[in-house]
Amino acid sequence: MDRKRVNGPELSVPPIFKKSMDVEPTVLVNQNKKRADQRGLDDIRPIYLKTGLVTQANGSAYIEIGNTKAVCAVYGPRQLKKAGFSRNGTLNCEFKFSTFSCTKRRNNMRDPQEKEFSQILVQALAPAVRLELLPKSAIDVYVNILENDGTSSCLSAAIIASSVALADAGIEMWDQVTACSAVLSEDQVLMDGTEDEEKRQTGAIILSYMPSLNEVTHILQSGKSETALTTQAVEQCIDGCSKISSVMATALLQSLDKSSGL
Amino acid sequence: MPIPVISPAEKSYIEQGVETDCRADGRGRLEYRHLVLETGLLSQASGSARCRLGNSDVLVGIKVEIGEIEQDQPNQGRISCNVECSPSASQQFEGRGADDLNNTLTLALERLLSGPQSGLDLDKLCIIPGQQCWVIHIDAMVMDCAGNLFDCIVMTTRAALFNTRIPKTEIQDLGDGEFEFEVMDDVEDAEAIAGWENLPMSVTLYKIGERYILDPTILEELCSQVTLTVGVNKTGQVCGVQKGGSGSVDPSLLTEMIQTATTLAGPLIQQLDAKLAEEEKNVLDKRRKGEPVQKLGFFAAVI
Repeated sequence: MDRKRVNGPELSVPPIFKKSMDVEPTVLVNQNKKRADQRGLDDIRPIYLKTGLVTQANGSAYIEIGNTKAVCAVYGPRQLKKAGFSRNGTLNCEFKFSTFSCTKRRNNMRDPQEKEFSQILVQALAPAVRLELLPKSAIDVYVNILENDGTSSCLSAAIIASSVALADAGIEMWDQVTACSAVLSEDQVLMDGTEDEEKRQTGAIILSYMPSLNEVTHILQSGKSETALTTQAVEQCIDGCSKISSVMATALLQSLDKSSGL
Repeated sequence: MPIPVISPAEKSYIEQGVETDCRADGRGRLEYRHLVLETGLLSQASGSARCRLGNSDVLVGIKVEIGEIEQDQPNQGRISCNVECSPSASQQFEGRGADDLNNTLTLALERLLSGPQSGLDLDKLCIIPGQQCWVIHIDAMVMDCAGNLFDCIVMTTRAALFNTRIPKTEIQDLGDGEFEFEVMDDVEDAEAIAGWENLPMSVTLYKIGERYILDPTILEELCSQVTLTVGVNKTGQVCGVQKGGSGSVDPSLLTEMIQTATTLAGPLIQQLDAKLAEEEKNVLDKRRKGEPVQKLGFFAAVI
């Protein structure tokens, strides 16, 4: 029971609008191989990425992938809350959807899906961070999703923003971690699916990748697909990741210019 | 209690063993441990199964209940999963130590079973469209943790779902769009879950050094940096891929691991399903002849 807040009724549901029930669902891919927002099958949505949003944090980043918006703040390296010796640093990640970010209102407390995404963030970022240089320390990464246009794209936005924020905080890393998501249908891979596309397809995949070291740090696929399609989706996601890494590098260079060009 | 630790010497011993395809207990890299699987042991549950894979012990109980439909799927029943590691299963599970692991295992099981990739016919689970449906509650309890938990849980869940019987319902149309239904008490009339054969199996590969192994013991699990869980159904389709662990993997090795898991799952599903069907046939034969059905007993699985 959440005793800290004045709770509303236990069960409440979003209204069903009459107009949305009469409207015909739009075709996902039309004859010219274009999707609903005029992207090609292989195109990822435009990305806006900037560091320095949260002034109180050691490092922070704000990312927009299409309509998905996420903020990441990194605090660290700082002292471990529990006394005791640990040879390697600890990476703690907290992932949270804002309550207004999704179509259905999310709870204030972290639900199991958010706890799982937090663990996924740790698994995706840990291979890249040089934790062996930070004994007895903790690095805290907080990700807040402001708008959700595709759950897989939220997770990839979180990973990208976290990686850039970690670099912005001056934490030593082996490599940046990029992430890319895709939506799978019977025989097609649609890169970077929106929420609409995700709801109506048979599967989704998200992959995070370190471009210079050529290593995959996380893969998560849900839904059903043939093995060949999964393999193809993995390759396409890795290609997408390589494109995104140049966007991340540009954002970090810009932040350097801004701080040195005073 | 702290998480189990492993010494560098032991780690090196295990890594070299994996490299030469001869592990500490003599198995090859892609061999399973001894498996004991039994269904129908809990009388109060709609379906149950217990599996002992090596020393890992999982008990799954399934209860089917009548519930309200979900707003976005008004003509379908639904499945709810829960995995709990009993605090007695391992030293690190005391108090709230098992919370994170419970959450991970529950969500991984849900990812495999809820949705079209589970292959189950959820439309058949609907009683009154738009109002009432069958809700299948899957509760897995880990009683002994000795490595390779998730695969063991999925095997047991499949067997328990095979064993589950859903009571028949009779719907009466009261007119004016109002319906009433009655649940038949007769045990003989209960039906199996439609689409059970399409349930996916999970194969988890653990990367140690540059090789990967199946079904590790606890010590081997501590040596592995990356795990890859692949869900495969009997037609060879991939029903979910999830990476675990805090390491990273080369893309070509990743694709190879997915291929291997898909290839390994086929014969595994076939053999398990054949055994389950055989056991059921024996039980039904004995019941028809009026002979008592001998259960293995809870301790019989411990060798």
